[in-house]
Amino acid sequence: MNPLEYLRIAWRSIEGHKLRSGLTTLGVVIGIAAVIAFVTLGASLQAGIIGDISPDDQRNLYGWAADPDTEGGPLAGAQPIFSESDLETVEDLEDVDAAYGYATIQSQAVSNGEERVAQGDGVIAAGPSYVRNSSLEEGRQFEMGEREAVINPAAADQFEDNVSLGDELELAFLGGQTATVEVVGITDTSEGLSPFEGFESSPRIYVPTDPYYAEQAAGFGFGDEGDSEGDGDGNGDGETRFLAIVVEAESAAQEDVDAARDAATAYLESDDSDASEFLDDDLAITFQTSTELLQQLQDVLDLLQNFIVGIAAISLIVGSIGIANIMLVSVTERTREIGIMKAVGAQNRDVLGLFLTEAIVLGVIGAILGTALGLVAGYVGAWYIDLPLVYPYEYVALAVAVGILVGVASGLYPAWRAARTDPIDALRHE
Amino acid sequence: MPTGTGTDTGTGTETGEGTAVTLENVRKIYQLGEPVHALDGVSLSIPRGSYTAIMGPSGSGKSTLMNLVGCLDTPTEGTVIVDGKDVTALSERERTRLRGTQVGFVFQTFNLMPRLTALENVALPQTFQGVGRDERRERARDLLARVGLADREDHLPSELSGGQRQRVALARALVNDPALVLADEPSGNLDTDTEADVLDLFAEFHDAGTTMVVVTHERHVAERAERIVHLLDGRIERIEELEGVGVEAGSGTASGSGPTTDPERSRESRDGRENREDSADRS
Repeated sequence: MNPLEYLRIAWRSIEGHKLRSGLTTLGVVIGIAAVIAFVTLGASLQAGIIGDISPDDQRNLYGWAADPDTEGGPLAGAQPIFSESDLETVEDLEDVDAAYGYATIQSQAVSNGEERVAQGDGVIAAGPSYVRNSSLEEGRQFEMGEREAVINPAAADQFEDNVSLGDELELAFLGGQTATVEVVGITDTSEGLSPFEGFESSPRIYVPTDPYYAEQAAGFGFGDEGDSEGDGDGNGDGETRFLAIVVEAESAAQEDVDAARDAATAYLESDDSDASEFLDDDLAITFQTSTELLQQLQDVLDLLQNFIVGIAAISLIVGSIGIANIMLVSVTERTREIGIMKAVGAQNRDVLGLFLTEAIVLGVIGAILGTALGLVAGYVGAWYIDLPLVYPYEYVALAVAVGILVGVASGLYPAWRAARTDPIDALRHE
Repeated sequence: MPTGTGTDTGTGTETGEGTAVTLENVRKIYQLGEPVHALDGVSLSIPRGSYTAIMGPSGSGKSTLMNLVGCLDTPTEGTVIVDGKDVTALSERERTRLRGTQVGFVFQTFNLMPRLTALENVALPQTFQGVGRDERRERARDLLARVGLADREDHLPSELSGGQRQRVALARALVNDPALVLADEPSGNLDTDTEADVLDLFAEFHDAGTTMVVVTHERHVAERAERIVHLLDGRIERIEELEGVGVEAGSGTASGSGPTTDPERSRESRDGRENREDSADRS
């Protein structure tokens, strides 16, 4: 008997019990929808995070020193050990394009002369190339040693009169000191520029480490706002230490990145460096690219996603038990029909095929509806959390395969029972 | 096949092609706590083209005999030969196939598939024999026309009257052109008028060459046959030959000489009668 005939007759009996069939497939619909929705959200979240890393960022190595056993993201457990001279030496290494310190400066407020806006953090001291040319909307990078700043749109917009190029801002630091900066550039995005900052949008002001971090590190209460010719030596003893450094490789190619990482690590761990005096078993230097740093986050996300998908899979199992249950009821209910079919020449495998087809059709309908529902839910979810939508198409194919599998698994036993029904008993059955 | 042995003698040759069913010393014993001899040594031969009624009180072995002749069951002892094949020697699959092709069932409770239309019900046995959809439908349409239900082919059984359902069942029984049609109390659920219509139809198909076996406990139903086999306590009590029975003995004799169920031939010979069936049905 041809499979199309199985399908035709199986469809009749599904149609004959619309409500029951609908409720039966609901379990599978919910299971598959949950899996698809979470996988879609997971893939979208991943794409959202990866998309935040600009290609220029790929050659940056973010380094800090911490206890190797410390778990956590960038800068977890970091200690300030990198000196100015370390940075200069690293920058001169053959495989390194640039090296500079990175620090956030504790601030209180920002003023544009007329208006004063509270800002607790978001003043970031780094090297000029930290703000990449490609992420500048207008203006230029700040220069080392100059009292210049690049701000992001969120920082510019917090004043009533939008800050524009050439404006001067007054920064009030936590220690009470103030400093004046000239805005020389505005970035194109308010999101963080590196994993050190995090990627969320917030007002940020980027300034050169020299003079600002040097001044800051010189100690609170120093209050020397007149130190306009600050030369990076801080309080003059050369002891300014950075918590974090950024090393730029020649290119984003993996071998260049690795070469830069090896060269920088080798130098910093050698006795020639200032940093090495602090290094021991409990303090080691880590250099990672954005991608590597995000990998950790992604690993956590994957774990979480697998966990949720696992829970959703349980509802699939419940769904298949539902189908099996209904099929068993259906076999009992249709004992007489089975008898009729056998009397008029249906072979055991025909009866088996009919009931199996019915279960598979229920499973596949559940899978298709569940996939549609899951994709819609994923779409709404991604739109709500503002993520780029990525549909995991391979999972759609997988869902249909799972639907068939669920149908076979739940239909096999009932169908087998139907097939071995004795036609004589079945025909007597009321 | 038309070897001219479709006689009314009831003692047809045992192995010849002129015999639709042969039972030789058949016993069927059920183990229900203690052995129950449902059939206790029955020998019977049903010639092709004959019309046999099987009568007996309940518990006489009618149903068991029907199950054996219909290839639904196998005997404990003895041989059952249907369409020249020894049923006891067949595998279950072969037995199912033989049943599907050579036996047509008509049941007291009609036993139509409730979610299939009249046409699909008639075509169902051919579905299981792998006949193509178009061919099946054409054949089913033809048979529905012959039982006077040409205008009901898309109706579900629940939309048909009892008589109409039994006609659909009869059409279904005939669809594979079987060696015999086995009817179990075919008019048990029908009122007197409808019963007469259905039995007329039986006679009509018998006249066209179909071998009919009717199991019944009603004398007037059995009297439409050519002979009545009386069962009692698992044995054949007696075989009663009926002379000059059936409607239109003349046509019965005519088709008796060519015991086939060629649908084309029989349809041609009966065009006028179909109209009468139609109108009778609506009343």
